[in-house]
Amino acid sequence: MTEALTIAVPAAALLGAMFVHLARTPAGVDRANVLAASLTAALALTVSALGIVNGGEAIRGSWFVLDRAGASFLAVIATVGWLSALTSPAFLAGEGRGLFTARRARGWYYTGFHVFWATLLALPLVDNLAIAWLLVEATTAASALLVAFNGRPHALEAGWKYLVLTTFGLGVALLGILVLFVALAPHGGGLSVLDWRSIAAHAPHLPHGSVEVALILILAGLAAKIGWAPVHNWLPDAHSEAPPPVSALLSAALLPTVMLIAWRVTLTLGAAAPHHLARTLLIGFGLASLAIAVPFLWRSMPWKRLLAYSSLEHMGILALAIGFSNPLATAGLLIHLAGHAIAKSLGFYAYLPIGRHSPDSARRAPRGLTRSSGAVAAAAGVSLATLGGLPPSPLFFSELLILLGGIVAHQAVVVAIAAVLIALAFLGLAHALIETLAGKGSGRPWQAGRTVRLTRRLTVAAVIGLLALSAGAYLLIDSHASTTLMAGVS
Amino acid sequence: MSVTLAWAMVASSLALVVVRRRSMAIALVAAQSLALGVYALAHAHAAGAAAAGATLIVKGILLPGLLLIAVRRSRKRRPIATEPPAFTRLALAAALALAIEQLAPALGLPNASLEHAAIGVFALGVLLAATRRAVLFQALGFLVVENGIYLAALPLHGGLPAPIELGLAFDLIVTMSVAAAFATKIHERLGSGDSSLLEALRD
Repeated sequence: MTEALTIAVPAAALLGAMFVHLARTPAGVDRANVLAASLTAALALTVSALGIVNGGEAIRGSWFVLDRAGASFLAVIATVGWLSALTSPAFLAGEGRGLFTARRARGWYYTGFHVFWATLLALPLVDNLAIAWLLVEATTAASALLVAFNGRPHALEAGWKYLVLTTFGLGVALLGILVLFVALAPHGGGLSVLDWRSIAAHAPHLPHGSVEVALILILAGLAAKIGWAPVHNWLPDAHSEAPPPVSALLSAALLPTVMLIAWRVTLTLGAAAPHHLARTLLIGFGLASLAIAVPFLWRSMPWKRLLAYSSLEHMGILALAIGFSNPLATAGLLIHLAGHAIAKSLGFYAYLPIGRHSPDSARRAPRGLTRSSGAVAAAAGVSLATLGGLPPSPLFFSELLILLGGIVAHQAVVVAIAAVLIALAFLGLAHALIETLAGKGSGRPWQAGRTVRLTRRLTVAAVIGLLALSAGAYLLIDSHASTTLMAGVS
Repeated sequence: MSVTLAWAMVASSLALVVVRRRSMAIALVAAQSLALGVYALAHAHAAGAAAAGATLIVKGILLPGLLLIAVRRSRKRRPIATEPPAFTRLALAAALALAIEQLAPALGLPNASLEHAAIGVFALGVLLAATRRAVLFQALGFLVVENGIYLAALPLHGGLPAPIELGLAFDLIVTMSVAAAFATKIHERLGSGDSSLLEALRD
């Protein structure tokens, strides 16, 4: 039963990619998209619930593993994907000819979107490193086309950079997987030798040199896809040029999902590496990402570019949480993952009315939104305040938990540096928040059209979700859930 | 695995750094892929033969064909002026590839000479993308990198598992189709396939 459901999750999204082509009118295509997305999300959330309520034991099948970590990531991907599917018709209503002809653009957009979503949904479930790599690589092609969807030179540049940099990065990761495969060959040369449990079981008996090389290559290669500094160059461009629903999916689902693979690699292979190599690498990526993001968060940036640099900051914080690797940091990681997903996707969806009403917003920071639209100002305010970690935002609690986890892991210096960088990022975002809401803008009120009404509803839902997460932070600290999250790798 | 063949792959990868015509570059990469594919097919056991054959067809015939179509759709109106001279590119690529090959830690492959050649081909694939400005050459860099990994995997007992080889072949088709579509579109919108024109997004 569970196996059939896990197959149905990505299959439903793939069928959705074809189903949208059956409709004959633009409105029909939109309805087919919403129907397919709702079915996919319902299936994914059911599987996710099964994984979470099952307890500390992972559910295993012929190709999949469902543990609490995978189930939590699956819930985030399902929710963000569903919301992006719901907001896509509003985005497409204002689009004309782009990468595709005007007549075919809508259908191809949804096809690319559902294929991208299907690969993302399969990723937290796969029980094998090589298959996970193939899926990560498969996300690139579909999402690169979506990034360049409007076909303008800037979008083509962003899409091309994304395609080239992440594909070469994943080439490095593949070389690392080959090194690991060679080392594991005496323990069986088949595909199953790269299953998570097999890697965890055999890693302590592998030559240290092979473990080190494989770990460095795999983590460095995946870092290019996660957007960890210093291999993050594609991230601000792709997030700022992609359609807002796709930017939300890239930032709130793709980056953390690839990070889940890096986390599983760290737990299985990293444990056998000498000199805490995995921890050193992750802390290095985390601090570098924070340090590089902060100066950009202090600058006046176009809305989506600001959110992109905020993604760099938050992926850095999540890297630190994985690196600290203890229950406190892991509890923080879970809250951070979900809180970041809600706040970041709300921020990108809020760009739908901003982009529609301020044509220069792609190149300039928005100003004085409270005078233009209360609903959009509320969405932007909730998003930036949450991302900045302003209490009672769940990200305030998660950052606190992660830093406390660092102290427990005897990483006081790292915690001190991270705390200063997080505080600086907060100040940068607080300044952006004030300017966005109350700065000197055009002052012309916007009509409460479709995108504004949609943003208002999403803001209400996001606030409820964020408050629930803040409450959840208290419950997670004392629970055993965070210690049994990764049952799938042991 | 013939060491001569492996080093011939290194030489052809170096040639890609200097070759002027895109069609010639595609032919060189196709020749690399065909040589690897034929060797894999000749030495594959029964279960691996299908995967090796599929990879041979995809990398040696399908993908070069796809890229040739992209070249035909985007005829060069002028040479790419922003590229460094051929000799500079060659010297730079050879020096960096040699440095990477010397500095890279042992991968633990059964044949040390082959390991050096595989790292050389991998590094030259990355350097091909870094030193050439034409987007099509950057796309070819993916294939050379992948050929380097394939070369490293060949002497393993039974090669890579068949599902991985088939998955890789599928991923390559999709990725290269998208890359070819991008190359055509970039040429259409910017009037050139020069990737240095794609540097407007900066902070």
